[in-house]
Amino acid sequence: MKHSKYWIVAACAVALLSGCTRSADTMADGRIKLDYWVFLSGGDLSYMEAIVDEYNSSQDEVYVDIILQDWDDYYTKIVTSVAADRGPDIGISHAASLPQLMNQGLLQPVEEMMTGAGLDFNRFPENIRDAVEVEDELYAVPIDTHPFILYINTDLAEEAGLLNEQGLPEIESTPTGLSDYFAAAKEALPDKTPLAISTGGVDTYRWWWTVYFQMGGTPIFSDDLREPEITLDRDIAIQAAEYIHNFFGDVIPMHIGDFYETFQAGNAVGMMTGVWATGIWEAADLNFTAMPIPQSFDVEAAQGDAHTLIVPIKEEQSSERKQAIAEFISFVSDEGAEWAKAGHIPARTDVVESSEFQDQPFRADYAEVASKVVFTNKTIYQNPAETDMIRALDEIMSNRLTPEAGIDQMLKALAVTTRQ
Amino acid sequence: MKKLTWKDDLRPVPFLLAFFVAYVLFTIYPIFKGMQMSFFNWTLIEQQEFIGMTHYINVLSDPNFWEAFGNTSLFVLLSTPTMVILALGLALMANLNTRLQTFFRGSFFIPSILSVSVISFVAIFMLQPYTGVVNNLLQAVGLDAEPFWLATPSLAWVSIIAVTLWWTVGFNMILFLTALQGIPEELYEAAEVDGATRQQMFWQITLPQLLPIGRLILLLQVLASFKVFAQILLITDGGPGTTTRPIILYIYEMGFQRYDLGYAAAMSYLLFMVLLVLSVIQLRLGGKEGRML
Repeated sequence: MKHSKYWIVAACAVALLSGCTRSADTMADGRIKLDYWVFLSGGDLSYMEAIVDEYNSSQDEVYVDIILQDWDDYYTKIVTSVAADRGPDIGISHAASLPQLMNQGLLQPVEEMMTGAGLDFNRFPENIRDAVEVEDELYAVPIDTHPFILYINTDLAEEAGLLNEQGLPEIESTPTGLSDYFAAAKEALPDKTPLAISTGGVDTYRWWWTVYFQMGGTPIFSDDLREPEITLDRDIAIQAAEYIHNFFGDVIPMHIGDFYETFQAGNAVGMMTGVWATGIWEAADLNFTAMPIPQSFDVEAAQGDAHTLIVPIKEEQSSERKQAIAEFISFVSDEGAEWAKAGHIPARTDVVESSEFQDQPFRADYAEVASKVVFTNKTIYQNPAETDMIRALDEIMSNRLTPEAGIDQMLKALAVTTRQ
Repeated sequence: MKKLTWKDDLRPVPFLLAFFVAYVLFTIYPIFKGMQMSFFNWTLIEQQEFIGMTHYINVLSDPNFWEAFGNTSLFVLLSTPTMVILALGLALMANLNTRLQTFFRGSFFIPSILSVSVISFVAIFMLQPYTGVVNNLLQAVGLDAEPFWLATPSLAWVSIIAVTLWWTVGFNMILFLTALQGIPEELYEAAEVDGATRQQMFWQITLPQLLPIGRLILLLQVLASFKVFAQILLITDGGPGTTTRPIILYIYEMGFQRYDLGYAAAMSYLLFMVLLVLSVIQLRLGGKEGRML
């Protein structure tokens, strides 16, 4: 009797430790089980779940388990879990994060295995194919491009008399076109927010990126994976910051707490963010239209990134599992039009041209932006550099630094970041 | 006293062993592991080459480190005195023999049992411009402005310190309250016989009696304030810009967002040295015998 207590303790310890072991490779019914990690916290998770469900019911050899991870520390989790050999079989990554993941030695090249599953990389437009290439190897399969675009609440715009006969907003492609449009909205509807966007943060950075490259800005870094030079054009960076700064406190109220909510509640005429919001507004029954950020300056350019599917390194991976992974990725790629319902633009040219995509509202109108997206440079410092740039722009837009001083601070921060 | 045999000596060992193993595994071992890491190039995944003191030298010339260190020091300077004095005031209030005694004790202490994420989200919600309750209250009493609590550096500090006070002052208050209740009644009775006023009793009896616990609270508070992290991460994420980024947040960013564990470990050790020196100074100053209590 005396020993029974020890057994209970031992049993508990075993139970605790077994909690640490990895999840099973196969299902009870013998199907191969693949873990698929996603960070989709916007409106797009349910569309991806539908695709995975469809894949699981389309065949009976492989079961894909979609696992939602918290966005804030998604990449940290990917890195640590793969290091501990407990990583997923497939994961989502932004194209911009690939160099950093690749440099950590976490990614398998995918070209050979995907070609084996019948996916031809020539079906992608060049800029998107290039976005997944690091040091001459393809490390991911892009599934979409998600540019930064403009949304207009058509009910409010109509009330303000800012729609043409076709019911579309007409914004002039001149340096003052955008601000004129929202100044008119402000005058017509003084109780509404003309343009909703957060004062600091990633969306302001996306807008600045758009304007900077439209003004003819040079890339932020030279394409050197580990020791990039800063090639940012200081003067154009300042001009772009100045241009955006003029909107704040005028047609954009300062420090809106949740600008998605402002637009969704029908209190803003316009808002700017990534295309994933299209699916959200559709679900919210909002009368709106979506369009590219008007080209106000000389160069056609847009900010954007791509969701891509990566295959993390595994210590032991049978060719059977590899094949299952490739087939699933190929399936997701083929379902690009389904994924586009979330608002994204399919990565593959043949999917963009399909009637399934072309028949969806709005998307075809902004699909052309995909080819104008200026992707980030291939350096391992891209993510921390983005944080530096967001912070410096934040200082400018909140009136704590002049555009000159803010961009100088940005350059200084980038120099510190890339030195380490 | 009875002389103990070796058998008696060994009796507590099994009871201590469980904790000791966990302590070695999760506290002692990581301390030395961290020190080892600070001398290597060490990513989140692998140990790379030995680089000696390079990280330490780089840290000392890193402007971000000094900015973060300055931010943390500012937080310590502003929060520590308020934390100790407010805790004392609340403890005196909670010790008053009134009908509200239980209410005071409960309401001062309840925030301490909330998790940091809860208090942070309540704070963010309350401090929003246009819609937040704080601005609406201020405007209701006649303030004609829209303060941006979390987007203005000085106000962001005020917000963080106010939230931290609200959240953690209850713990210090309990320590003071316990000490207050431990002051012998006879001291007050004797003073009353001698004709002392209430004020004299407070300055001559209560305060001196609270001095030892006050020193302990001060030491714990300085250490705790230097380690400020979670509420800032959640409320401002070091912003606006990097004006409220404390040292631990910078360590976290370098370690888990930049995957540079060696550099992060080196910064941790520098912080550790600062805390060690501060603790030794405080302990030396504490009382004639160099003891805390």
